[in-house]
Amino acid sequence: MTPLLQVESVEKSFFGIPVLKAVSFTIGAGRIVGLVGENGAGKSTLMNLLGGNLHPDGGTMRFNGNSYAPVNPRAARAAGIGFVHQELNLFPNLNIAENLFLTNFPQTGPVIRRGELHKRATALLKTVGIELPSTTPVDRLSNGERQLVEVAHALSFNARLIILDEPTTSLSARETERLFKLVRQLRDDGRSLIYISHALDEVLRLSDDVVVLRDGEVVGQGKATEFDQNKLVSLMVGRELKQLFPKGRSLPLRRALESNEVGAEPRAPLLEVRKVSQPGVVRDVSFSLRRCEVVGLSGLMGAGRTELARILFGLDPHECGTILVSGEPLTGSPRRRIRRGLAMLTENRRDDGLCLEASVADNIALVTLPNYTTSPLRLINFASLRNGLAKIREAVRLQPKLSNEQPVKTLSGGNQQKVVLAKWLLATPQVLILDEPTRGIDVGAKSEIYQLIRDLADRGAGVLVISSELEELTGLCDRILVMNRGRIASEFAPGEFDRERILNAALPT
Amino acid sequence: MNRATSLASRSLHLWATAVLRSEYLVLLLCGVLFTALAPFTPGLATASNFTNLLGNLAPLLVVATGQMLVLIAGGIDLSVTSTIALVSVVGAFVMNGDDGWLKGSAAAAPAAVMVMLGLGALVGLGNGLAVTKLRMPPFIVTLTTMMFLSGLAVWLTKSQPIYHLPAGFTALGSRLWLALPIAAGLTGFAHVLLARSLFGQWLRAVGFNARTARVSGVPEGAVVIGAYIASGLLAAAASVLYTARLETGSPVLGQRILLDVIGATVIGGTSLFGGKGKVLWTFFGVLFLTLLDNALNLLGLSHFTIMMVKGGVIVLAALMDTARNRWLAT
Amino acid sequence: MRKSAPRLLLSALNHATLFLFILVLIVFGLLSPKFFTVAGLTNLFVQASSTTVVGVGMTFVLLTAGVDLSVGSIMFVAAAVAGKLALGGTSLPVALLAIVSIGLVFGLLNALLVTRLAIIAFISTLGTLYAGRGFGLWLTQTRAMNLPDNFLALGASKFVGIPTPLIIGAFVVAFAQLTLTRTSFGRQLYAVGNNLEAARKAGLNTRLLLAAVYMLSGLCAAIGGILSLAQLGAVSPTFGTNREFTAIAAAVLGGTSLFGGRGGVFPGTVLGALLIQCVENGLVILNADPYLYPLVTAALIFLAVLLDSTRSRILAHWARRKIFVEDAV
Repeated sequence: MTPLLQVESVEKSFFGIPVLKAVSFTIGAGRIVGLVGENGAGKSTLMNLLGGNLHPDGGTMRFNGNSYAPVNPRAARAAGIGFVHQELNLFPNLNIAENLFLTNFPQTGPVIRRGELHKRATALLKTVGIELPSTTPVDRLSNGERQLVEVAHALSFNARLIILDEPTTSLSARETERLFKLVRQLRDDGRSLIYISHALDEVLRLSDDVVVLRDGEVVGQGKATEFDQNKLVSLMVGRELKQLFPKGRSLPLRRALESNEVGAEPRAPLLEVRKVSQPGVVRDVSFSLRRCEVVGLSGLMGAGRTELARILFGLDPHECGTILVSGEPLTGSPRRRIRRGLAMLTENRRDDGLCLEASVADNIALVTLPNYTTSPLRLINFASLRNGLAKIREAVRLQPKLSNEQPVKTLSGGNQQKVVLAKWLLATPQVLILDEPTRGIDVGAKSEIYQLIRDLADRGAGVLVISSELEELTGLCDRILVMNRGRIASEFAPGEFDRERILNAALPT
Repeated sequence: MNRATSLASRSLHLWATAVLRSEYLVLLLCGVLFTALAPFTPGLATASNFTNLLGNLAPLLVVATGQMLVLIAGGIDLSVTSTIALVSVVGAFVMNGDDGWLKGSAAAAPAAVMVMLGLGALVGLGNGLAVTKLRMPPFIVTLTTMMFLSGLAVWLTKSQPIYHLPAGFTALGSRLWLALPIAAGLTGFAHVLLARSLFGQWLRAVGFNARTARVSGVPEGAVVIGAYIASGLLAAAASVLYTARLETGSPVLGQRILLDVIGATVIGGTSLFGGKGKVLWTFFGVLFLTLLDNALNLLGLSHFTIMMVKGGVIVLAALMDTARNRWLAT
Repeated sequence: MRKSAPRLLLSALNHATLFLFILVLIVFGLLSPKFFTVAGLTNLFVQASSTTVVGVGMTFVLLTAGVDLSVGSIMFVAAAVAGKLALGGTSLPVALLAIVSIGLVFGLLNALLVTRLAIIAFISTLGTLYAGRGFGLWLTQTRAMNLPDNFLALGASKFVGIPTPLIIGAFVVAFAQLTLTRTSFGRQLYAVGNNLEAARKAGLNTRLLLAAVYMLSGLCAAIGGILSLAQLGAVSPTFGTNREFTAIAAAVLGGTSLFGGRGGVFPGTVLGALLIQCVENGLVILNADPYLYPLVTAALIFLAVLLDSTRSRILAHWARRKIFVEDAV
């Protein structure tokens, strides 16, 4: 029997960095296939290739007996591959039936045959187990129900293969059970499903087959019964560590430095977070950050790490709890928190890290600009600003050939990130929050950024690093906190950096 | 042969790109417009016409500079023309010789100017608050303000112009050597503010990316409000010049210059998408539009033909903005 | 409990226009005993028909998160052409065809500027506003045109006892309502207005949808121009000025959002147009200074936009993503 989907030596690189390396696997008809791997292992890229959002650099795919190379998502749909995205692509201002048939309404002339529409929609909803009338507006649905509507959408064009990307992260336990029942039922109807999830126990419970990806390669595949959770974790993690990370100064030296700066209380916390909660985002988060310390914040996507960072920096509100810096409560806008010595490198450079159209100099100077002005008009002293820029450019090792006047959008990802770092370092922050500081940049720039972080901590700052790359955290940090569904689930001291244990703490229980 | 052609076309393309990118493109266009029209247009290249041109240019430059500041912040101020009208009327109320509040007083003219400027700033503050605090879309806020203020100016005067303004005031408009330095001073000040001050840098940052600006500790609300206040103030200053020139407080003053203001700023190169703009660019844009207006008038074209041409020009300007953003982005 | 407060506010915002309308009706009825008669109400509907029709076109554009500022000028050009043709003795069908084409051509122009050249909607249509006004002034040579009596008779004519403008208005509203609620085109417009990028990804032809919207708006403006002309009986050089405001106001008061994706024609825009007309008539009854009218209209628009912005802010606040479901504690 020919398999439903055959992926042969598929390759894909971004900016010369290989993300998928000769990936091959097959999916049989009527099978549930669990796809697992760490963040950045290449799962999303692989699924985007299947969904027609990206095109492979090499290799072939066959689907349903035909050669398969979708040019766009529509082509993928037409071929019979349905996609249920993590961020749901429904229109909340339309009702369920309209969302299901938006591009192919049953109609007479231009007029929708409403009876037919709702008959078909109701049938689909019944299949996926939604009891609501098909005229319910989507903005009234819970996340779980929206997930099921997306599955129904895939069924509306009779998809033979349905890809579910992290479908359970925002679902309650009951909704999850409901989804599983549906997935099995669809399998029994002869469809195949790819189930991507970090919840390994769910994967093992649900899947017929398992494919494990690591660093863009398939490192394990077979019947689900041949795997257990430990085996999966060790397959996902098992790569050799590269020498990327700077050695921190020896502990005694750092202690000496530290006591020099803070006097009698060497271990007094610099940043203290006490019982911070915000409904639906973070729950009862408490931790502290000391001088000269790099603390890692690990966890799965959607565990609340970025949200916590945004709360600390005053970008989002929190309902209860207090945040202290050097013992004083921290409140107000980011502007006030910057004055208290906070700095935050955000997850997404393009959206809120840089002014892409503006020059390198303007971007680096943005935070510290008020310090370079003279009253009454607050005119900028360009000479001293240039001095400051030159120093900080050297400190972050920004390529000297890049002109200060060059628009930032012409820079590579690594250099862009250095510009953002330079912007914050120029303000000599006491507490530096770094959200995914090395996302999308090459290895060389990565190791330079690690060195910068270490140096900063060695000079007395406290650094909080959020990263999805465990390797990065274990290599760089003095301590690692793991978040799980909005809580800090556990804490690991330097001696206990065990990648499998950290990963297990992050996985849903 | 082939290579030579391709080389030629490449260099042509490079040249075209360089011209399109140049800051002086609009100045070049002004020169082209002038030399092309001068032979056919009686009285274009005469000394008296130059005086006239400069007199038209000065107040327009002042309003357009304010508009540019708002555009840089990523907004738009459509209320400037009505601000000019209302401010003109209120100023005339204060100082006119018939029934002015300060009729005959030596302080009438300076007091009127202060009131006018204050009112302009107040209008700007209102616009700014509606945009930042109430999160209303700039174009609709300022459209409503435009309608309201224009209605207010007409209501206050029952549509009648106010004459007999003090001579000390009208001198501001009739004497070019007074009007020009005022306009130059104001735009010069705006230039310094934009190019060399903290406010200018913040303004551009907010226009480029308001989220980044916020994360970086820029008080983006205050900056945007500041831009609208500046626009209101400069519109009021322009109103002083216009009112003095006409020697009349008029409720329909400036009604016809909205297109000139937006057209001039956008043609000059200020982006409708925020972030980009320079006083010098605006000056070139104002020069271009004033020249065009002047030439079309001298050619004896009717008011409505000029209106159509200007309607086309603003679309063209917006098109250039889009082209600059998309085509030259690479 | 905390959650129900904004819900209540939202519901109040959604029904603000209705409350306002009822309030105005009561005041109106108390002031003028003639108002709550069949004749009085019919008159109100006839007077509001032009604003309703133009507002319907505007609703389509606003639903896609665009705006059409050129409707006033389109009304002017359409009325000017109609006047010229009527004075020249052209037959009615030819005249109507010409007017419809004028609306469509202007709409097409806007559509091309917005979809092909990617110029921001309010700037494109601001340009066509001026170009259209200039064109109309050229057509009329800036002189007022008085129409022959037979044309006026058309405006006052009745069909089975119902005034013709009312029938036309009702027909446009019914057609638009049907289009928005019952056709795939209508439903897809809502998707485009909600999220243009997602609509494109879902496989909708967004360019075509947007273009159609501007053409519909042009068409409605032309029809609205004729309705207005039939009532006024003359084309002055200021015919149709500021009508883009009343059209936007009617739509937004009726609950259509400037941010796209929310709203509708019935009762929405119709109610908005009636409210505006009621207020205007109320000012007449109060014998208010005619110079105050634009002030009141502007205040009304400001209020409408304020309601819309506040509602959008509340909705955006709700849409803030929650990353997990709170389990029962």
